[in-house]
Amino acid sequence: MRPVSGTVGQAEPVSGTVGQAEPPRVRAEAAEQEPGHRRWAGAILAAGMAVALAAAMISIPREHAALPAVARYALAVALPRWGLTEPVNEIVYGTRGFDTFGETFLLLAAVISVVMITRSREARRGYFGESQAGQREQAQADPVVETGATERAARAAEHREQGGHAPGDPAEPDTPDATALGTPAPETADAMTVVVRTAIRIALPVLAVAGLYLVAWGYSPGGGFPGGAVLVGVLLLVYAGFGRRRISRIVRPALLESIELAGAGAIIMTELLGLLLRGSFSANWLPLAAPRTILSGGIAQLFSASELIEVGTGLAIAVFALIGMGHDWAPDERAGADDPGGER
Amino acid sequence: MILVNYLAAVALLCIGLYAVLTKRNMIKMVMGLSLMEAATYLFMISLAYRAGSTAPVLLSPPPGKSAGDLVHGNVADPVLQNFCLTAVVIGVAVTAVFLSVVVRIAQHYRTLDSDKVRKMRG
Repeated sequence: MRPVSGTVGQAEPVSGTVGQAEPPRVRAEAAEQEPGHRRWAGAILAAGMAVALAAAMISIPREHAALPAVARYALAVALPRWGLTEPVNEIVYGTRGFDTFGETFLLLAAVISVVMITRSREARRGYFGESQAGQREQAQADPVVETGATERAARAAEHREQGGHAPGDPAEPDTPDATALGTPAPETADAMTVVVRTAIRIALPVLAVAGLYLVAWGYSPGGGFPGGAVLVGVLLLVYAGFGRRRISRIVRPALLESIELAGAGAIIMTELLGLLLRGSFSANWLPLAAPRTILSGGIAQLFSASELIEVGTGLAIAVFALIGMGHDWAPDERAGADDPGGER
Repeated sequence: MILVNYLAAVALLCIGLYAVLTKRNMIKMVMGLSLMEAATYLFMISLAYRAGSTAPVLLSPPPGKSAGDLVHGNVADPVLQNFCLTAVVIGVAVTAVFLSVVVRIAQHYRTLDSDKVRKMRG
């Protein structure tokens, strides 16, 4: 039989060939069995694109060209007008501030799309474990027709992932540190091994401080985008190493989404006050501190800190909504007469 | 020889394009789109490079120069670095949208094969 590991989210239980009457194979994912789609047409189109782009690349400016005027302008105004020693930050929050504003709300729109697409049928309070609440209703609406060993294993693994105990599983301890060494297999364990957990405990404070330092200081204020990404990495490290129960008090939709929208509101206020007080959107309305101090750059520090909140919580929401996505198992109509994937 | 970087970006973009055009597994199509994104990052950062330039930071200029010299001197293009900075974050969020759509399609149709997802075909 096909070996089935305990992880959820593999392509196998849902791939098109499983469940049909074919002999069981040990490794079904060999490369030559993968269906392609008009390989030659694709190859010719991609090669043509490569030739056209390469021809264009040969004639564009290279490393000896003069800097464009917009870059010279940003370099020239960074220190006198914004008091920032780093022109990149001056561009992000000053010269191209309006663009950054738009990109922020593009990020927000993407996060909202992920939340809308991934949410389950019931009202939810947590990213994990909510599917249990509606299981009875689900059982009435969609009576389970267990189709095979693969699907049973996938459902059991998902049940375990969502916080329940599959029959026959040993009860999990409250914290991963209470687990006896070497007991669970890494595939089914809630947390990683003691070696990884110790390494994470050492690396985590360093990473968190480095992320916050990027935001507050760097060469100058303004590092909200990379700082937010680093903080999401910190959160994911804790999740990967210690399991979801350790972060469940912080990583809740109600909390993260409120903080996210507060960050978005702070960005709108920062930019709108420029319009109200200085007559142009995203103009600087705060007094300029001396360069190379933590408050230099006027609104740059405020904008950047709001951006940290927006990016950090936004990416966290997107990632955890995706990880905690429950299977909304559609009825498997293949068991009946018609094939949902076939032609109508 | 920054041209090598440009051509590498073109190659990366076309590998991603080939994956999007010819793969039927939707996860691999998303991977192709991510490759195309990565090609644009490489291209923008390469385009910002100037021969012998310093980072666009007006801090601690080399001996015998002032910050004003740095403004008019040989630095990498900060505007393109800014493009890349924001594009990375947006790219992560957009990939998350793609993946969540793929997961929903997989749950609904019980397949990742884009050829078998035909309910919407007119």
